[in-house]
Amino acid sequence: MHGSLISFGHWLQNRPFALAIAGSEWAYPLVQATHFTGLSLWVGTSVAVDLSLLGAGKKSSPPLQLSDALFLWNWLGFVIAVTGGFLLFSISAETYLTNIAFLTKLGLLIPVGLVLHLVIQRKAPGWERAEQTHVVAKVSGLAELLLWLGVATAAVLIPYVG
Amino acid sequence: MLLHICTALQDNSFVAWLNGTAWTAATLEIIHYFSMFILVGSMVIVNLRVLGFALRRQDAAQLADRLFPWIWISIALNFLSGFCMFAGSATAYYRNDIFYDKLGVIVLAIAANIILQQNMRKWNLLPAMPAWAKLIALLSIGFWIGAIIAGVEVPALTGVG
Repeated sequence: MHGSLISFGHWLQNRPFALAIAGSEWAYPLVQATHFTGLSLWVGTSVAVDLSLLGAGKKSSPPLQLSDALFLWNWLGFVIAVTGGFLLFSISAETYLTNIAFLTKLGLLIPVGLVLHLVIQRKAPGWERAEQTHVVAKVSGLAELLLWLGVATAAVLIPYVG
Repeated sequence: MLLHICTALQDNSFVAWLNGTAWTAATLEIIHYFSMFILVGSMVIVNLRVLGFALRRQDAAQLADRLFPWIWISIALNFLSGFCMFAGSATAYYRNDIFYDKLGVIVLAIAANIILQQNMRKWNLLPAMPAWAKLIALLSIGFWIGAIIAGVEVPALTGVG
C-alpha cells in the first residue's frame, strides 16, 4: 500500500502539467496564491459561523442564517483551495507522501474537519430553534476553529519535518 | 538610516532567537497565515455584501459591525507576526522590491477597509448601495488577493523568506 502510494506520487510529479508548474517562475507562486485565496474564503466563511456559534456576535445573525447565506461561497472557497492544493501537491507528490506533517494534515485533520463542518451545517437549524445556542453548538464551533488551525499548523510544519 | 535600523533589528538577540528557533519560527508562520485567512475571508464577506452577491437579507451595517473587530484584530496579529519575521531578515527585505510592492498593496487594502467601515452605516440607509461603494468593495477584494500574490512572490522570485 505504502509502496504503491509512493509510486503514484512519483508518477504524478512527472506528469507534464506538474513539471510545467515546477519549472515556471510565475506558475508556482500563482498556484500557491490560489490555494491561499481559496483557504481565506473557506476559513473566513467557516470561522464566521463558528464565532456565531460561540456567541461571539450575539447582536446579529444567528448561526443558521449565516451558514445558509454563506454556503455557496464557503464551498467555492473549498473547491478553489483544493484545486490549488492538488496542484501544489502534484509538484512534489512523492516527497509529500513521505512527510508525516502532510499525511497528518490530509489523512487525519482535513477529513475530521470536513465531517465536523458538515455536521455543523446540518445541525445549525436545530441549534437555532433552541432558545440559546447550547453547549454542543459552542463546543462544535470551538472544535472546528481549532481543527482548521491544526490543519494550518500541520501545513506550516511540512518543511520542518521533511 | 533605514538600513541601519534594519541591521540593528536583524542583530537583535531576541529577533535572532525568534527566527532561529524552530518552534517559534513555525508559530510566527502559523499566526501569520491563519490571521491572513480570517482577515481576507472576512473582508471578502463584507465586500460580497456591499456588491450584493451574498447575504443580501443581512443588514450591511450590522454585518460590518460584527466582522470589523475580528478583521482589525487579524490585521494586528498579521502585522505583529509579519514584523517579527521581517526583522529576522530585515536587510534582505530592505533591498527587496517585491516586498515593497506587497507593503504598498497592503496600505491600499487597509485604506479601502477604512473607507468601507466609515461609510457602511450611511450606505446602509440608502435604498441601494451606491456605485462607488461597490467599486471600493471590488478594489478591496483585488487589493487583498493582490497582497496574497505579492506575499508568495517574495520568496518565489527573490528567495527571501
